[in-house]
Amino acid sequence: MSYENKMLQLKQKLGKKKEQPKETPSFRKPEKPFYLKDWESAGLTVMENELGVLFKREVTYPLDYQHGSYRLGLLYDAIGKWGNTAFEHPYAMDFDESIVFFDTETTGLKGVGTNIFLLGLLEALEDRFVLTQYVLADPANEAAFLFESKFWQHARTVVTYNGKSFDWPQLETRWTLNQHVLPKLRSQKQIDLLHSSKRIWKNNLERMKLTKVEEEKLGFSRQGDIPGFLAPIIYMDAIKSGNADALMKVLYHNEWDLLSLVTLYIHSTNLLLEHELDESATTYTNIGKWYGDLKHAQQSEQVLTSVTTNFDDDNTGLAHYYLALQQKRDGSYNEAAESFEKALLFIGKREKLKALEQLAIVYEHRFKNYEKALNYTKQGLNLTKSNQFMKKEQTDKLYDKWLKRLTRIEMKLIRR
Amino acid sequence: MFNKKRSIDDLLTEWRFDEELKQNILHWHTLEARAAKYASFPEELHPSIKKALEARGIKQLYTHQRQAFDYAINGNSFTAVTPTASGKSLCYHLPVLQKILEDKSSRAIYLFPTKALAQDQKSDINELIEEMGEEILSYTYDGDTAPAIRQKIRKAGHIVMTNPDMLHSGILPHHTKWVSLFENLKYIVIDELHTYKGVFGSHVSHVIRRLKRICAFYGSDPIFICTSATIKNPKELAEKLTNTHHQLIADSGAPVGKKTFLFYNPPIVHPTFGVRRSSVLEVRDLATRLYEAGIQSIVFAKSRVRVEMLVTYLKSLTKNKIQDESIRGYRGGYLPTERRKIEKGLRDGTIQIVVSTNALELGVDIGQLQACIMTGYPGNIASAWQQAGRAGRRQDSALIIYVANSTALDQYVVNHPTYLLGSSPEEALVNPENILILMDHLKCAAFELPFSITDTYGEFEVQELLEFLQDEGVLVKTSATWYWMNERFPAHEISLRSAAQENVVIIDQTIPAGTKVIGEMDTYSAMTLLHEEAIYLHQGTQFQVEILDWEEKKAYVREVDVDYFTDANLAVELKILNEDKSDVYNSATVSYGDISILAIPTIFKKIRFQTHENIGSGKIHIPPLEMHTNATWMSFNLPENWSEEMLTDALTGAAYAVGSFIPLYIQCDRSDLSVVPQVKSTHNDKPTLFIYDSYPGGIGLAERVYDIIGPILKETIGHVRNCPCKDGCPSCIGAQDSLNESKEKVIKVLSILLNEIG
Repeated sequence: MSYENKMLQLKQKLGKKKEQPKETPSFRKPEKPFYLKDWESAGLTVMENELGVLFKREVTYPLDYQHGSYRLGLLYDAIGKWGNTAFEHPYAMDFDESIVFFDTETTGLKGVGTNIFLLGLLEALEDRFVLTQYVLADPANEAAFLFESKFWQHARTVVTYNGKSFDWPQLETRWTLNQHVLPKLRSQKQIDLLHSSKRIWKNNLERMKLTKVEEEKLGFSRQGDIPGFLAPIIYMDAIKSGNADALMKVLYHNEWDLLSLVTLYIHSTNLLLEHELDESATTYTNIGKWYGDLKHAQQSEQVLTSVTTNFDDDNTGLAHYYLALQQKRDGSYNEAAESFEKALLFIGKREKLKALEQLAIVYEHRFKNYEKALNYTKQGLNLTKSNQFMKKEQTDKLYDKWLKRLTRIEMKLIRR
Repeated sequence: MFNKKRSIDDLLTEWRFDEELKQNILHWHTLEARAAKYASFPEELHPSIKKALEARGIKQLYTHQRQAFDYAINGNSFTAVTPTASGKSLCYHLPVLQKILEDKSSRAIYLFPTKALAQDQKSDINELIEEMGEEILSYTYDGDTAPAIRQKIRKAGHIVMTNPDMLHSGILPHHTKWVSLFENLKYIVIDELHTYKGVFGSHVSHVIRRLKRICAFYGSDPIFICTSATIKNPKELAEKLTNTHHQLIADSGAPVGKKTFLFYNPPIVHPTFGVRRSSVLEVRDLATRLYEAGIQSIVFAKSRVRVEMLVTYLKSLTKNKIQDESIRGYRGGYLPTERRKIEKGLRDGTIQIVVSTNALELGVDIGQLQACIMTGYPGNIASAWQQAGRAGRRQDSALIIYVANSTALDQYVVNHPTYLLGSSPEEALVNPENILILMDHLKCAAFELPFSITDTYGEFEVQELLEFLQDEGVLVKTSATWYWMNERFPAHEISLRSAAQENVVIIDQTIPAGTKVIGEMDTYSAMTLLHEEAIYLHQGTQFQVEILDWEEKKAYVREVDVDYFTDANLAVELKILNEDKSDVYNSATVSYGDISILAIPTIFKKIRFQTHENIGSGKIHIPPLEMHTNATWMSFNLPENWSEEMLTDALTGAAYAVGSFIPLYIQCDRSDLSVVPQVKSTHNDKPTLFIYDSYPGGIGLAERVYDIIGPILKETIGHVRNCPCKDGCPSCIGAQDSLNESKEKVIKVLSILLNEIG
């Protein structure tokens, strides 16, 4: 029967409300789902608090637990390294912070109708790491589940992968829906490792999926993992059927995510603070640029210079380019011009256009070398004309600007 | 003579002696100016508001504004019927601002049917707030809002101006981000209430039920303020839309300037067949006269195609001037920036003539225009008055010219000026009970907040429907509650604007490297306007559709320069699914129920500009579209001694005539209802006329027709009989191929029915 035919049948059942609204009842503890025993035998523990029931799974790891290339305990070395730096950085942590790695699994991608069904917390303790996974027993028992996360209780540093725009806002949404019964959610310090990974591996890694980063950078590859996009269906099936076998695989998936967050933090810290040059020129150029954007000029120049001195010319175009921008900002115009010129052959057209502009400016206004300025202007004009990456209006506007510069410089040459 | 600026009154004096014009003007009607009715400021009115009003030279209120204030302050939801330029926005601004000044945590939502209207009202209220010297934040929130300020609007905006679509898919499904709005929501303002009818209105009635449900969750109980153009049932419409009891303010205290209405009928060029000269050509000539007299005018045309045709014609007036932008088109489908530019040009006077669809009917501020030409009757009285209101704002003399098309309804209106000027307007209908629309929004509502097993939704008992949704796998039931448990985001799958849920995107590929999207269109319209080889007009430029990718809903077009336009036909098959009501007479039955329709695009014709002759045709390759809807149908016995052929002609003519007259009674577009004859109906083998809603699930029009079929038949017979043509014309029973007493036969068929059921 077609959807519409079913609708027509249902239409006969559509009733109109008779009585007026009743008063909203105060909180009543929801009933327990029928599958408590089944889920327990799958490997989960039942918990109960004043708001209802939930499930839990707990795993403890020693500090020398090896996950891919790193032992978890190296986290404390990484924190120590941040302690030795003289500058502020958004990814720095110190020993006083209570650190928790955090990842959720949800039934959808957005909106109030998307549930969180798994809260994964990996706590870094002095002598061990403790993983606690809370599982939503069913949507009626949500308040009990959220309450156990303790995010209302302590101040913690929450380390995530895309948590700033996904996991945390989702948690806030769920919290708001249960605000009648829950204590207020605390706002927490957040470190989002997706953001740092994008800064570090732009143009180096094609996709920033955590499993990709693990394989390429962290020396870890998963065996028997379920793809993340199946998680919603598996959970929905578990609460309908009462069978939690497949659900356990989602928990393992989440566990791997969290362990990798620890080693990702360790690895990123090493890249940022120790310039061993184990990775590509692109990676270190990205790091240098990031320092520049954070206004840490000294670190930026240091990293970029180590790239330009240690790698081949065809890998260092961008490093020269960013270095040049830095040098120009410092007022070192000779060095800047030299770096821009070195960069020219090895950078993309977008950057090249900017480099030509900077060169034209510096030769015209600083060095009064109008021949060179003219030469760069002509190159810029040609590149603008043939570019494929700008919209037509943008191109026209830029072309105009170059043309004005050309005329002005030619006038200056004639006047001389 | 040329380009000499004249006033409306000068021009009218001149026209009174113009023999050529005079013979086509059937009626010449002047509505005299009317003085204002005032009331004093309310005592409790906040001093800052008083200050701001006085700064604008307002020392007292119009009576309707004062009444609005009093209702709102006393906690009553109300609906105010307000003509164009009657200061309607103060009906809601005053109580809203008063409340916010009394309690800074208060919030209000303003709903406008379009983004453009929200933009307009934002500048209006921000000016007022500035004059008040108070810290009140009002923002528009729609697809154009920059992500950077969205957070601020959610947390701190006192007044949020948006449209139903944004509320539906951008706000309600994310209500936890709007806690301070929903906890403190005091007023919901619905402007242009009369536009919420039909499919769109039925959808919006559910968006509002969802909104109220969320307000209740956060503990607020807002008051509704609606403003509407003149319709027959404003209070009923508001109550149905909002599911809330309303007070009515029907009497406007605003002054009205002198308005002259001309009822213009194009001359008959073929007396036997009653063919009149094309109204488009007449409008072109009238608009040219206004242009040359320097009178800023707006020309309304009913379809996008007509707008583009008129722009093409009129632009020839300026073709010798470089960069002249004084004649422009305006309609849905243009991109927002283009529209903003046109609106500004109208306000500052650089545009002298604008040709528009009803997109400019609504309260977009385009300043003062002097004259208005309607190309054909806009379909209902409320629209006609709104279009007329575009001319002569602020008490100046205004000229309104109504140019009739040759359709039956148009001819009726041009011959009966009192219908437009005096009689009671039509009803606007919404049908929240449309089960398809209801189910769509029940899903959204379940997504937004779980339903308990004792919950109702709006006025509906929905437990069985929720059970159905569980069977469909989108809900999960725990002991006491239904929860949404599915990956999908239901609001994204539901468009409020069209019954068919997808739009076709129009892509210009004239420049291969610079392809760009120039507009979009709903699927149903696209069947007849964007088929391959169709000529699509955009800002007077012709494009030919090269490829229609129906799967992906994309039409690729290329700019062309041809001297014709295209016109397409749809064939329809239908069958009865379910009979809900039935009246049985001696030899006739009238029934109402559910039917299934199969719309099959057939052929298109190429029609030459100016002469409108047919110069070619082709087949349309688009798969049929199936839909289920509501219908009223009438069956009767074949008159004695009639052949089936005779009956075919008579029924076709009768369908044409009846279809034309329904909009006289119910506010809907001619195209919202379809009338289809069957000589031998598949369900009872009898001659049958079907009248059905043109939208899936129906919107209540056919059901209303069932109730008032008697008067409709009576009016139709009278008009066909009085039509001056010899034997049928587009103004009564449709154009006829040959002379064989078709008119008498149509009257006979309709009379059989009327006698039976009358």
